Amino acid sequence: MGQNYEEVRDSADILIVGGGIAGLTAAVAAKEKNPDASVIVVEKQFAGYGGKANKGGGVLQYFDLEHMKPEDFLQYHVHAVGCYLGDQDTMLKYVAMNNEMIDRMEGWGISIPKVKMPTGPMTFMFGIDLDSCIKMTARAKKLGVKIYDKVAISDLLTDNGKIAGAVGYSLLDGKFYIFEAKAVMMATGSQNYRVSEMWSNGRGDGIAAAYRAGAQMRNTEFGNFGQLFRKESFHECVFGENNMYNKLGENVTKNFRRFPESDISATAIREWYEQMSEGKGPIYLHIPQMRGGGGGMMGEGRPYGQAFWSIQGEGEEEMDKDMEVVPGLVGEQSPIRVDGNMAASIPGLFAAGDSCYCGSGAPGAVPAPPGRNRGSGILNAVFAGIVGGESMAEFVKTAEQNKICDEQVAKLKADAYAPLEREEGCTAVDVIDIVQDIMCPCENSIIMSQHRLDICLRKLERAKALVPKMKAKDFHDMCDCHEAEAMVLSCEMHLKAASMRHESRGWFLREDYPQMDNENWLKWIIVQNDNGEMKLTTEDVPIEKYPVQPLKF
Amino acid sequence: MLHCNNKIEYNPENCVGCQLCYKACFIDVIRWDAEKKQPIFKYVDECAHCRYCQAMCKKGCIKVVIDYKGMSYRQSFDMYRAQ
Repeated sequence: MGQNYEEVRDSADILIVGGGIAGLTAAVAAKEKNPDASVIVVEKQFAGYGGKANKGGGVLQYFDLEHMKPEDFLQYHVHAVGCYLGDQDTMLKYVAMNNEMIDRMEGWGISIPKVKMPTGPMTFMFGIDLDSCIKMTARAKKLGVKIYDKVAISDLLTDNGKIAGAVGYSLLDGKFYIFEAKAVMMATGSQNYRVSEMWSNGRGDGIAAAYRAGAQMRNTEFGNFGQLFRKESFHECVFGENNMYNKLGENVTKNFRRFPESDISATAIREWYEQMSEGKGPIYLHIPQMRGGGGGMMGEGRPYGQAFWSIQGEGEEEMDKDMEVVPGLVGEQSPIRVDGNMAASIPGLFAAGDSCYCGSGAPGAVPAPPGRNRGSGILNAVFAGIVGGESMAEFVKTAEQNKICDEQVAKLKADAYAPLEREEGCTAVDVIDIVQDIMCPCENSIIMSQHRLDICLRKLERAKALVPKMKAKDFHDMCDCHEAEAMVLSCEMHLKAASMRHESRGWFLREDYPQMDNENWLKWIIVQNDNGEMKLTTEDVPIEKYPVQPLKF
Repeated sequence: MLHCNNKIEYNPENCVGCQLCYKACFIDVIRWDAEKKQPIFKYVDECAHCRYCQAMCKKGCIKVVIDYKGMSYRQSFDMYRAQ
């Protein structure tokens, strides 16, 4: 199968998969560090337009290093957000690089506004315009980075367990692309199961490609970000969790937090269920809701974003007659395991941005950015892009190009086009329907119990059985099939790791294990493809070597 | 969002063929007709109504009509609601 599709070959020292802010940052940083290194960026849609950073509010959280030390933020984060499950070295490195990152972004042509809004004792936020990635693309091209748009990478090429390149296909004409590279970076975003409508658009195909190649995954059970939505219009109520009221007019926010915080927690969603179960629902918000996600920060000095925000919310007033809210899953599984240099477990493989936020271990027990720090996604992606880009620039100076195996290419080509060659079978949507029915109910994905996880795992078997039967009518449809396969994988990684973690910690809530268990569960769950079987193991968090220790009562 | 019936209205009268709607679509709903220099709304059933195409069109040629009623949280809230 697949032999009829024309092949295109290209090679570079560094191949970056994904043209969002993480991938583009990595491309620019690699070129700035090592101008001799050749760099290719492959983007499934259009570099500079895809990805998450140019949607939503463009809000960027940063640190006031004039008045606080990186160690201060670490203290807060480890106790209140990461709940001791984080890699504190990487978190500290991220905060310490704050000023350097903002200076470099400005140097790359991104306009940094003077209007700054405090979000806490240590953090501020400002809004960058939504064309920042377009500027980054221009910068990358100027430095000699070669960009392929509308090419979907389907799999990684390996040689004796080391990276040799990647393969993919054009969404437009179906040509098969074979890229040879010494280093490959996955900057492909998180897994969001095609649930939400806008900024959370990752579909996990990059995560799945890394998994199939044998890369380790970490913290897969933290890919269950959720949000409150206005019931009829599905409008995300950013900050709404600070102002929840039941039908008796009682403030229920005070049941799970003592003061307004910068982002939602899983406990807000649990509170919604508890109030509703007690017959005290529906739940309403008692504040005038912001639209568009940036509040008073929108508009000024951001004409590109203004064009976008000016039409957001159109038609919603007719839908929502009141401020009733319901919880919904967003997703954000980001599990590719990387070390402090953004190197994955396969030699030559790197990752950046939302493909590896939780996999980096840095944030601990919380899903991908915002990770309970609204606005932290952009700077986290820039951080991983700079660190990973520079790591690759160094790596390729001494690394040899590993050999591309023709048999492997032929097999992966056949796999990629298989849905197109099937005459009978099901559609990608048939498969995604099952995955969404499992993941979308917050009782399954956010407030979990063994009983429900077991039911979900059984339901998932139906989706797994359909994966080899998916058929596609064109190359776009073929890509849908690959994404559906990735969603099944992410769902399985979530359910199995969630079943294994017998405690509640940070964002991760289990009804049957409501307490945090530092004695037994200061552990990361590692998921890996072991000859086609999903293998789960645990690894101790090296808490004794970190500066912040769990509180003892 | 699956099974939604979002629509994209397109008025070619003022279209200048800038391709920004095509580039702005991050999920391949919009393709480009190189001959006519116009967008093709090829996979509208997958439109996630981000409205980026509409926002980017400086000539006001595009309007995304959202099917709110077709959207679903894929979970039932009825069992939790007081009767």
